[in-house]
Amino acid sequence: MRNLLDFLLNYKHWFLFICLECVSLIMLFSYNGYQKSVYFTTANGVVGYTYSLISSVTSYLNLQTENADLEAKNEILRRRVLALEEQLAEVKKDSVHISGLAPKYDIVSAQVIGATIHKSNNLFTINKGTADGVKEEMGVVSSNGVVGVVYLASAHYSIVIPLINRNSRVSCKLRGTQHFGTLTWNRGRADVADLVGIPRHAQAKKGDVVLTNGFSDIFPPGIPVGYVIGVKDSPDGIATDLRVALFTKFESIREVSVITNYSKPERRELENRADSLFNNNN
Amino acid sequence: MTYSFVRYFIRLLILLVVQILLCNNIHLFGYATPLLITYVMISMEKGMGRISLLLWGFFTGLIYDMFSNTAGMASAGMTLLAMLQPDILSSFSSHDEEEHITPSIGSMGFWSYVLYVFACMFIVHAVFYMLDAFMLSNIRLTLLSTVTSTVLASVLAIFVDLVTHSSKD
Repeated sequence: MRNLLDFLLNYKHWFLFICLECVSLIMLFSYNGYQKSVYFTTANGVVGYTYSLISSVTSYLNLQTENADLEAKNEILRRRVLALEEQLAEVKKDSVHISGLAPKYDIVSAQVIGATIHKSNNLFTINKGTADGVKEEMGVVSSNGVVGVVYLASAHYSIVIPLINRNSRVSCKLRGTQHFGTLTWNRGRADVADLVGIPRHAQAKKGDVVLTNGFSDIFPPGIPVGYVIGVKDSPDGIATDLRVALFTKFESIREVSVITNYSKPERRELENRADSLFNNNN
Repeated sequence: MTYSFVRYFIRLLILLVVQILLCNNIHLFGYATPLLITYVMISMEKGMGRISLLLWGFFTGLIYDMFSNTAGMASAGMTLLAMLQPDILSSFSSHDEEEHITPSIGSMGFWSYVLYVFACMFIVHAVFYMLDAFMLSNIRLTLLSTVTSTVLASVLAIFVDLVTHSSKD
């Protein structure tokens, strides 16, 4: 007994070492499981608050370029409004308005207060949470295009999986066609992603614009994602893989919007039921 | 004991601020992001108890992880470094030195200190980037990130050492 105690006392640092490494690895793995790690991430109140403080100071540094960007965008939008008003007046002459047909969804504006762009699993922290109506699996967009999907939400902060995360999968199509594929990202450049699974007969070419296709209930169809900069055959030769330059500038992103009521619980419930039926039959 | 605890704690806070404000925004060549916070463990004095070293390592990593959404990655690396630090330090410093020296260029000599810092940085960055990639298919990129980040972090750590110790003299 005494020998055992001596042994334990002599090697106590080894036991502590093994315990601490196990705790680290458990955190690493549970971080891939949903909603378990809210206290050990930037969605934690104290860490989130610290980042808000830092971000409120550093945001001034980029104001000049952001203002110029916004001004340019405003100009384009103003012109578009004028053009559309003219078109609308033309069309309205002999048409009947049917209310309820246009898709409606609410957005919540948020600021990015923390971001990484150099890891395999990049995550962004935004300063809105469940108290503002943001929930998991809601889409996040910016004025340029798609940003990502909400992964974790605490009361006042949320963590977003951006397009530049190795686990990100967004269903997209090429503008003007119905050919769709999955947008994925591999570590490396933060402004380029891959659109895989586009059929060969789609004849994609450089410059084609990539949009969301609205198959999932996260993003409405037609939100811009990027444009094609490279086309090559997929390894199996059946489809083509496209390199896509992303519209969203992840290095300098600050203002984003969360689409809050596009997701339909009814649809999700139906799909889950279908999944479980399918699994039971197997 | 209390005095060293407070000193290490203040050093941890300052390095944490530098890390999240500055170092986390460095992506040299798109690969290198230095974990300068490792300097907390590098500067732990010789002869410190293994248990306190391990706890310091783990919690330093944990705090970094919480601020960078890298749950477990830095804490695993820093805990491993805390386990190995006494052995690395004694292998790079001569044996006749007094018991409680603080690792620095002044106390160890330039090249011994550089090698010591490089070894420590390599351990933390290797674990960090391997857990980040978590597969061998992209091993080239992982190695590239590890080596470039290690070199960058070592240069920064030596710079921090020069600044802090010259201000004391």
